[in-house]
Amino acid sequence: MRPAEAARPPKARRVWLGLASVVALVAAYTLLSNAYRVVDPSLLPDPIRGVLRPQILPPTQRIFDAFVQLVGAGASPVGGAYVHTGDHIGGLVEQRVTLQGSLLISTYRVLIGIAVGGSLGVLAGLLMGWSRAVDEYAHPIYILFRSIPPLALITYVMLWLGHGTAHVLLPIIYAVFTVVVIPTYHGVRDVADIYVKAARALGAGGRLLLSRVVLPAAGPFVLSGLRYALIIAWMTTVGVEMLMADEGIGYLLIGGGMWSSRLEVAGDPAVIVVGIVALALVGYAMDAGVRVAGARLTEWVKR
Amino acid sequence: MNGLWRRRLWRALLSVGALAVLYGIASEIGSALLPRRIWMVAHYLEDVELLPPYRSLLEETVFLIQSGILPRSVLVSTARVFEGLALGAAVGVPLGLSMARAARLECLLDPWVTFFRFTPALALLPLYALWFGLGELSKILLIATAVAVVTLLGAYQGVRDVPRVYLEAAKSLGASKGLILRKIVWPAALPQIFSSLRIALGLAWVTVVVAELIKATMPSLGYLLALAGAYPRVPTIAVGIVTIGLLVLACDAVALGCYAVATRWMKRSPAHA
Repeated sequence: MRPAEAARPPKARRVWLGLASVVALVAAYTLLSNAYRVVDPSLLPDPIRGVLRPQILPPTQRIFDAFVQLVGAGASPVGGAYVHTGDHIGGLVEQRVTLQGSLLISTYRVLIGIAVGGSLGVLAGLLMGWSRAVDEYAHPIYILFRSIPPLALITYVMLWLGHGTAHVLLPIIYAVFTVVVIPTYHGVRDVADIYVKAARALGAGGRLLLSRVVLPAAGPFVLSGLRYALIIAWMTTVGVEMLMADEGIGYLLIGGGMWSSRLEVAGDPAVIVVGIVALALVGYAMDAGVRVAGARLTEWVKR
Repeated sequence: MNGLWRRRLWRALLSVGALAVLYGIASEIGSALLPRRIWMVAHYLEDVELLPPYRSLLEETVFLIQSGILPRSVLVSTARVFEGLALGAAVGVPLGLSMARAARLECLLDPWVTFFRFTPALALLPLYALWFGLGELSKILLIATAVAVVTLLGAYQGVRDVPRVYLEAAKSLGASKGLILRKIVWPAALPQIFSSLRIALGLAWVTVVVAELIKATMPSLGYLLALAGAYPRVPTIAVGIVTIGLLVLACDAVALGCYAVATRWMKRSPAHA
């Protein structure tokens, strides 16, 4: 139960103020990023002149142009053979890397990570929360593995799996797995305890106990773990794609290049902003999806 | 209680020990059976130890320590993590606290907090490299951003979850706003802030591994891993991974200790029992 909260302003006002703040900031940014057209840059003092450049603060309309170009890149007449232009957006268009295509590939990777890593994580959490012996043997090992950042593994994983699909997916699966275990574990171990005792007293046991008592009781915890896992999965996906993959939204942000030096290539800020905004929107939408589905699935909690 | 803990410890040692022995056996078999030439994209990698046995790990550790590479990398990376943590928390915590206390500010900032919450911090890396250069600043700011978002949400939720009864009781007893903030809101929010700091610390380590690849210079753990991966030298990779793992483990233990201290008052309070 949430404790009583301090008074909040009504919802309409909240939406209105939030909208106003977004519009105000975007407007302010548009003015600032177009200042170089109005003010002669050579008149400005040094640090400000450095900042007010379209290469640093892309004008809002350039960001919009980049968005349109990236969405339409699939229909580009150039296509096919890679002609190196050295230009971030030009290179992406030549390779027919579209925004929606990149997002689709990354979303697919995130979903695989959630599906595989999530089920393994729930299973591990369930076993550890259910059986004290498993917990005492397996928990220390889990903690050791959890401490390794998934992205630190990619170079080693690549040696085993080669440069391909599996080696991009493994760190994501691993990241989701480590995140999901603990909430499930606590859901099963701590919360289900009273229910388990009651159900046992009423004569339930074995499979019935697991399917009708333990899993539903742990459900809300698993779901909140899943929501955090989504954020971590996106983080890892973008990281792996920036470092190693040849497609996906992380690749779009970087624009290619040989790995390890590819992070040093100066990108086009308009493309990067488009990618970031798209990531935020997709992340938000997926979280909202889990939230709504979760509210349905765990409706019994309120009762 | 004592016996229970002894059994836990015994079982923990047993399973970790069994894992270590298993790896020893697997690496001995592996060094005989696994291929040492690996085809990678367009060429062969020569002399790869996929499962380096303990002696080559030991050799590598001794070399990395004696040459000063490992200690210096650890210092540099740890410093970055904590600089980013301090900076991020210094922005995130006050912002979260004030957002929870000031309704109008909350409404104004809400869309932006949501935006940053769902933006993977690593996606900001190319932008930061462009804005703040390829040096130290963009690395630390990247970590700080990841930390700020997490601690902001932690501090906000911490204040939000303060039972209203506490606030009203204090108010009706005549406590001033400052006193309420210091004596009720802050201590009540502290556990959540600390638990968000613990998450942030883990996230900071995830971030630093990638952040250290922008304009990478040698003494840093992220670059050590990347360089060893490019050759590839598996013993070096393994030592790097284990070192980062142990550092994360140590940081987490410290954070957990701080959390325990910060939540000591809860044991005395029936409302949180």
